[in-house]
Amino acid sequence: MTDYGHDLLFGSFITPGNAAPERVVGLAQLSEQAGLDLATFQDHPYQPSFLDTWTLLSYVAARTERITLAPNVANLPLRPPAVLARSVASLDLLSGGRVELGLGSGAFWDAIEAMGGRRLTPGQGVDALREAIAVIRALWDTGERARVDLPGEYWPIAGAKRGPAPAHPVGIWVGAYKPRMLRLTGEHADGWLPSLGYLSSLQDLDDANARIDDAARGAGRDPRAVRRLLNVGGQLSATRTATLLAGPPEQWVEQLAALALEHGMSAFIATGDDPTLLTVLGQEIAPAVREIVAAERGGSAGVAPAALVAGEQA
Amino acid sequence: MSGADLGHPLQLGIELPVSAADPGAAVRLARRAEELGLDLVVVADGTDDGGALDAWTVLGAVAGATGRVDLATRGLRLDGRPPAVLARAVASLDHLAGGRVTPGLAAGTGGADADDALDALAEGVDVLRGMWAAAEPGPLVHEGRHHRVPGAQRGPAPAHELALWLGATPGSADDGARTLAARVADGWWLPTAGGAEGAQGARARLDAVRREQAALDAALTAAGRDAREVRRGLVLDGASLALDPRAVDATAAPSAPVVDHLAALVLDAGVGTLVLAGADEAALVAFARVGAAVRDRVAAARAARGTRVGTVRSAAVRAARVPGIDYDGIPAALTRTAVEPGDAGYAAVRSTYMRGGRPGLVLRPGDTAEVVEALAYARAQDVPLAIRSGGHGISGRSTNDGGIVLDLSRMSAIEVLDVATRRIRVQPGARWGEVAAALHPYGWALSSGDYGGVGVGGLATAGGIGFLAREHGLTLDHLRAAEVVLADGSVVRASDDENADLFWGVRGAGANLGIVTSFEFEVDEVGDVGFAQLVLDASDTEQFLVDYGATVESAPRDTTAFLIMGPPRGGIVAAQIMAMVDSDDPQTIIERLNPFARIAPLLQQQVQVVPYPAVVSVPQRHTSEGEPVTRSGMAEHLTPELAADAARLVRSGATPFFQIRAAGGAVHDVPADATAYAHRSANFSIVAMGSSRRRIDALWDAMAHHFHGAYLSFETDPRPERLADVFPGPTLERLRELKRRYDPEDVFRHNYSVAEPPAVVP
Repeated sequence: MTDYGHDLLFGSFITPGNAAPERVVGLAQLSEQAGLDLATFQDHPYQPSFLDTWTLLSYVAARTERITLAPNVANLPLRPPAVLARSVASLDLLSGGRVELGLGSGAFWDAIEAMGGRRLTPGQGVDALREAIAVIRALWDTGERARVDLPGEYWPIAGAKRGPAPAHPVGIWVGAYKPRMLRLTGEHADGWLPSLGYLSSLQDLDDANARIDDAARGAGRDPRAVRRLLNVGGQLSATRTATLLAGPPEQWVEQLAALALEHGMSAFIATGDDPTLLTVLGQEIAPAVREIVAAERGGSAGVAPAALVAGEQA
Repeated sequence: MSGADLGHPLQLGIELPVSAADPGAAVRLARRAEELGLDLVVVADGTDDGGALDAWTVLGAVAGATGRVDLATRGLRLDGRPPAVLARAVASLDHLAGGRVTPGLAAGTGGADADDALDALAEGVDVLRGMWAAAEPGPLVHEGRHHRVPGAQRGPAPAHELALWLGATPGSADDGARTLAARVADGWWLPTAGGAEGAQGARARLDAVRREQAALDAALTAAGRDAREVRRGLVLDGASLALDPRAVDATAAPSAPVVDHLAALVLDAGVGTLVLAGADEAALVAFARVGAAVRDRVAAARAARGTRVGTVRSAAVRAARVPGIDYDGIPAALTRTAVEPGDAGYAAVRSTYMRGGRPGLVLRPGDTAEVVEALAYARAQDVPLAIRSGGHGISGRSTNDGGIVLDLSRMSAIEVLDVATRRIRVQPGARWGEVAAALHPYGWALSSGDYGGVGVGGLATAGGIGFLAREHGLTLDHLRAAEVVLADGSVVRASDDENADLFWGVRGAGANLGIVTSFEFEVDEVGDVGFAQLVLDASDTEQFLVDYGATVESAPRDTTAFLIMGPPRGGIVAAQIMAMVDSDDPQTIIERLNPFARIAPLLQQQVQVVPYPAVVSVPQRHTSEGEPVTRSGMAEHLTPELAADAARLVRSGATPFFQIRAAGGAVHDVPADATAYAHRSANFSIVAMGSSRRRIDALWDAMAHHFHGAYLSFETDPRPERLADVFPGPTLERLRELKRRYDPEDVFRHNYSVAEPPAVVP
C-alpha cells in the first residue's frame, strides 16, 4: 500500500484538433465549469491536424480563470528548453500561477526529425531531458545572480540571463516508462505523468513507483516530493464491468480511490474529449473519491508534494 | 513613390508592455485599446534580459482576451523556435483568434555575423511559407545551411491570408534586412522614429521616414515587386509625439500638430500602420482620440484625391486571377477575408461537400451589412454568383467556375432569445451539429436532417426532414421570422406579420428569393432519445419495402425512421434502418423498434439512449470534385408497385445510395399552401444517388408515376419538368409572382429558379 499523502487532482486530457478550435477551447472551459483542477493538452508539433499546444495553452489561459493548465506532455525535441522555460514562466505570470509543465523526451522520432528536430536514441533522450530540466530550473531561479552556463551535449547554454521567474513553483512532470527515465523522474522531477494505457498492469504501476522512490532517495530527495499523476481512458456506462474505469460513476469512484490509496496516484486526467464524462468526473466522481480517501487518511485531504516535503501538515 | 500615399487601409495600434514585473499589463492595455477602437496591438520581442515575458506567449494570451484587434509580433527572433513549429503556431493562433494574426520576424542573435543571421531568417521565412501552403502536394523539404526540414507535413493554412512582416534590425546597417524584406515580406517595420518634440522634430522625422521608404521602394523595384505589395509600419514613442495624457477631457480637441504630423506620415510618406510604444493607459486614451482625428483627416484627403484604398497582393497571386472580376474594387470591409485563386486558403474554400469548384473569388461577409455590400459588388461583376451556407448543397450549387461565391460560414452565431418561448436566433453559416450542441443544455432540440455538418441556411429555406420529423415536423415549420437580404440590397424582416408573402416563400424556396441572414426558430423540448441502427437482410426487397412502409406509417409519431439501401453484395440486399424514438425510456424504445426488427432477418443492431446532439455531431470537413447525380420523389405510401420498381432500381446497381426518409406525421399538420414546401401528404421522401445520370434517369423516369413531387434539396435533374415536381401545383405560380416582385432579374438562380424564361445555369 503506497499513499504519499498528496492532495488529489482531477483533470482533462484534451485533443488539440484544429478543425474546430472553439470546441477545444470549450472543453477547457467546460473542465473549469465542472470543477476539475487541470486542463491538459497533448503536444505533437508534427501533427498537421493539431493546434500548436503552447499557443493553445496561452490562448486558453486568457479564456479561463481558475483551472491549472499544462502540456501533456511538451515535446522537448521540438521545444528548445530556454524558450520553453521563459514561455512557461511567462504564462504562469500571465495566468496568475496556473501553469505546470508536463515534459517528455519525445517518442515519434521519424516525425520529430521530419520537422527539423534532432533524432535521439532513447538513452540520449534521457540525457537530453536531464540537461533540459537543468536549463529550465536554472533560468527560473532568479535568486541566483550569476548567468547560466551549462555546457551540455544536447542543450548547451552559455551566458544566459536568468528570468523571468514563474509566479509559483511550477512542477515539472515527466512522462516516463522505462528504468532510466523513471530514475530521472525520481532524481529530478516534481511529478510522474504516464498514461495508464501504456502500462500493462497495476503491477507495472507499482514497480514504476518503486523505481521512482528508490531513485529519489538515492538522490537525497523525499519520494513524496514527486506527485504521481495518471492519464486514464475510460467510459461511463450503466452497468458495472470488470474493466478498469468502464462502468458507472460508483465504479469509477471505487477504482480511483483504490489507485490513490493503494497505488499512490494523486491525479487522474481523463482522456476522450467527452463533455459528459468530464462533467460527471468533476461534479460527482471527484468529490466522492476525495471523501473516501480523506476518510481512509483519518480526515486529511492530503497536501501538495512541495508542501509535504516542507513539513507542513494538512 | 516615397512621397506618396500607398493607399493602405490605415491601422492605428499600440505596442504592449511585456515586463515580468507587471504581467497583467499587456492584456489590460490590449482590451482597453480594443474598446477605444484601435486596430492593432503589437508585442515586440525583446532581448533575453530576464525581465521580459516571452513575446509569443503574451500574444497568445492577448488573443484569448480580445476579439477584434489585429495581433502582431514585431521582431520575433527564430532563436530557439524551430521554424516548422513556429509556422504551425502562427497558423494555430490565427485559427483560434479568427484570422487576426500578423507575424513579424527579425534576424536572431545566433550565427557568425549579421549576414549569417539574415540568411537564417530568409531560410526561416521559406519554411514558414512552405508550411502554410497546405494545398501544395507532398511534405515540405528544406535543406538549408541554418534550418533543415527533412519532410514536414504541411498545414494547416492560416485562417486568413496573413501578412508576414520583417523589420529593421536595431543597431545594424540594415541594407540586408531591407533587401530581404523587399524579396519576401508583406510588411516592413521602419526603423523606430524617436527624435525631438515639436515641429522641427516632426519635420526631421518625416524626412527620415521618406528616405527609408525610398530605400525600400528601390529595393522592391529591384525585386520586381509593386511598392503597394508591402505595408509600412512605424513605431512612435509618445514623448516625441507630445501626446498630452492630461487631456482626458473628451471635449478637448486633439493637438492639431500631432494630427497633422500623423496624417502626413500616411498621406505623404507611405506609412499605413502607426503604432504607439511605451504607452500607459492615459497615453493610450490620448492616442485614440488623436487617432480618430487622423482617420477623419486621412479619409477626407483620400476621398478628395480619389485614392484607391486597399492592400495589393503579390504578383503570383494576381497572376491567378480570372477575368470578369474587379479584384481591386472589392469593398474594403470584405478584403481581409476575401479568398482568391492564388491565396494559400483557396483550396479549403473552393469546393463543397458535393461539388468541385474553381470560383474566381470567395467573399466571406461577417454580418448583414457586409452581405449587402458583397451582393451589390457581386451583382456588378459579370460572372456567376453562388450563395453558400454550409456547402452541403446537393441541388443548390454553392460553388462555380470562375464566378463569385458568397460564403456565409463566418456568420454562425447561435443565440437564445427567450427561454420561456424556446425562441432562438441562428445565422445561416452555423452547422446543425453546432445548433444541436448549443440547444442541448436547455433540454431543447431542432430536428434538421441526418448530418451535423450541414449548414443552417440551405436546409432551413428548403425543408429539413430530420430524425424528429414525424413528431416535430420540418425544420422550416419552426421558423417564426427571418431577416432577408433581397436582390436589390434591401434588408427586410419576414414573418407572419411582416412581409408575410415573402415569409411564405422563404419556407421552401428561400434560395429563389434572397439571402436569409438570420433565422428565428421556436424549438422543441427534447431530452435524451433512443437511436437505433439496424441492418436487415432485405433480399426479398419488394416485400421488405411494403412492410417497411406500413411499419413507418403505423408507428406512433415519436418514432421516425430512415432507410438506406445499396446494391446487392454477396447475394444479399442489406437495408440499414436508422430510427430515432423521442423517449429515453428503454422499454418504450424497444417497443417502437420491435416492429422494424421483425420485418426481415436482423443482421446487426445497435440501440442506444443518447443525447440528441450525439446523432448529429459535426464531422471533419469533406469536399468533392465533380457533380452529384440524384433524383428525388415524394411518395404517399410504399405501394407494392412502387416497391417493385424500387427493388429493380436497387438491384440494378445504378444507385449506391438509395434512401427513404419518413416525411409524414407532424409534417402533415401544416397545410400544403401554408409554405412553399408543398409536399404535405407525402409519408416518404425518397432519393437515389449514383454516378450515371443516364442510368438513373432511365430507371427513375419509369417510376415517376408513383411520386407526387420531389424534395427540392435532393433533386439534381436539370430538365425543366422537374420544376413542377419541386414546386407542385399552385405553389409554382405563387412563387413566380414572388420572384417577379423580389428577384425580377433572377439574381438567385442556382437552386431551381422559378423565373420565366428559365435561367441558363452555367
